[in-house]
Amino acid sequence: MKDTWGEKIFYRFNYVLLALAGLACLLPIVHVASVSLSEPHAVMSGSVALWPVGWSVESYATLIEGTNIVRAFKNNVVITLVGVVLSMIATIMAAYPLSRSYFYWRRRFTLAIVFTMLFGGGLIPTYLIIKSLGLIDSYGALWLPGLVSAFNMLVLKTYFEGLPVEMEEAARMDGCSEWRLIAQIVLPLSMPVLAALTLFYAVGYWNAFMSVLIYINSPEKHNMAVLVQQMVQSQSLLQEINGIQQEDIKQMTPEGVKTAGILVMIVPMMIVYPFLQKYFVKGVMIGAVKG
Amino acid sequence: MHSAYAQDAAALTHGNANRRRKRWKQNIPLLILFAPIVAFFIIFKYAPMAGLVIAFKNYTFSEGIWGSDWVGLKNFRQLFTNPQSITIIRNTLFLSCLNIVVGFPFPIALAIMLNEARKQWFKRIVQTLVYLPHFLSWVIVGGLVVTIFAQETGFVNHLVKMWTGEPYPFLYKDGSWIAIFVGSGIWKGAGWGAIIYLAALTSIDQHLYEAASMDGAGKWRQIWHVTLPGISSTIVVMFILNLGNVMEVGFDQVFMLQNSVVSGVSEVISTYIYRVGLQGAQFSLTTAMGLFESVIGLILVLTANRIARRFGQSLW
Repeated sequence: MKDTWGEKIFYRFNYVLLALAGLACLLPIVHVASVSLSEPHAVMSGSVALWPVGWSVESYATLIEGTNIVRAFKNNVVITLVGVVLSMIATIMAAYPLSRSYFYWRRRFTLAIVFTMLFGGGLIPTYLIIKSLGLIDSYGALWLPGLVSAFNMLVLKTYFEGLPVEMEEAARMDGCSEWRLIAQIVLPLSMPVLAALTLFYAVGYWNAFMSVLIYINSPEKHNMAVLVQQMVQSQSLLQEINGIQQEDIKQMTPEGVKTAGILVMIVPMMIVYPFLQKYFVKGVMIGAVKG
Repeated sequence: MHSAYAQDAAALTHGNANRRRKRWKQNIPLLILFAPIVAFFIIFKYAPMAGLVIAFKNYTFSEGIWGSDWVGLKNFRQLFTNPQSITIIRNTLFLSCLNIVVGFPFPIALAIMLNEARKQWFKRIVQTLVYLPHFLSWVIVGGLVVTIFAQETGFVNHLVKMWTGEPYPFLYKDGSWIAIFVGSGIWKGAGWGAIIYLAALTSIDQHLYEAASMDGAGKWRQIWHVTLPGISSTIVVMFILNLGNVMEVGFDQVFMLQNSVVSGVSEVISTYIYRVGLQGAQFSLTTAMGLFESVIGLILVLTANRIARRFGQSLW
């Protein structure tokens, strides 16, 4: 069928709008990358747009030498790797039993977990519990309270429930134990959703901010989010107190260094993002269909 | 005759016991897996709920959660008579309602537009780009915003200066701060929010479009009469989920963007609890505020779900 005149306009218009939406998501990142790679003078005048003015890696040199970014980066890696492993194991441990029809109190347990999505103790009581467990200033305070995300658990449970029953029955006929069933049938069949959840947890731990801010006191244990936040805030604080004066600018974290810090936090994610994209869409869809 | 019945009955109970034993045996590995999870939820989710009692107490470190004195509703009375906390509750409601009302249509529109894009490569590229901001933390988004809108060094103000000669303090004026706040939320969340609607769109019967276009419906009418009704149930469910968060504007978003100049509109419950509760050690008072926030949130979700059920849509 040929497009009518109105449809042609519609499609043109649609493509333009979508292109704008896509660019709107990309350009701020390109801009910040350009700022981080420009020479300080150009940055100060705000004239850097989407291409570095007077290429310079000075900001990155200052970032690496003058701040604790290297240590913070290492902390990020540790927090993320350990956190993801722990969370994935725990999420499987929660979702698998709840997905079995013969599990005792399966509905009651599920409801009790869903309830925690709707209502919670809030910041202060949680803080007091963590404190009384002696977890303050240790990464345990980051890993344990967020061990299982109820949402991720429901996604995985739904996926497990959707696996073909025949395969499971056949395996049982052949004398397969529950453990082997999990390790050799259920988990291998669930790779797409496991990949999606791994990504979700990884992003969460990589970006962890509030929990680090609250529970981790020692600066040497801080992650990149807290470090970058301090760098970004260093300027706005001075601006509030003094207004803008030339001599204050020396005390601020230079714009270029800030943007370099932001970039260092984004880049690792940008690298893994394309590879995992097809999985995370699937993961969300599974959750959505149930929703 | 009689004995035959007895035999049957015996066999039946025997079978039941057998089945029960079998089920128990099947459950052993599951219970081993699940026991630590129960412990996790009790310690880290339900114990804090019990800890909410300090909202009705005068919490002191030396006495602990259970030892501190009861004060009844004193903390709540203090909360609702203090003009500052009333401002904070108002800000919270205002900012989150704005986030929902202004932000809600964007993912829907984006999903419909993506659905209408027929060049697959184009659609894929746009999708990849619009999902991306979801994976950036608020620290990064806040950093981007501050970089772009900074008074002296920001690019936007570079343009404004060229235009008017004077920079504009975008982040230090109530109106423009609110606009940036809402806009940054849309920037970060709209693409990701569209995924769910895209999933819903795939289930619409393509014949309906053909039929509609046979009847002379243009693109707009097709979207209005076929696409939107086709995803209406998803829209309702997403709206309920959003309503549940009305009392909660994310801590990170506000914390990253706020500054003391605009604190009159930007201080919200979560940042107040952090500053006054945690840093100022006002545990009981801010727990009362947190409890108020959670209870209103819970009521909103339950109410919205009940309303939705009347329309044949509900979460549970």
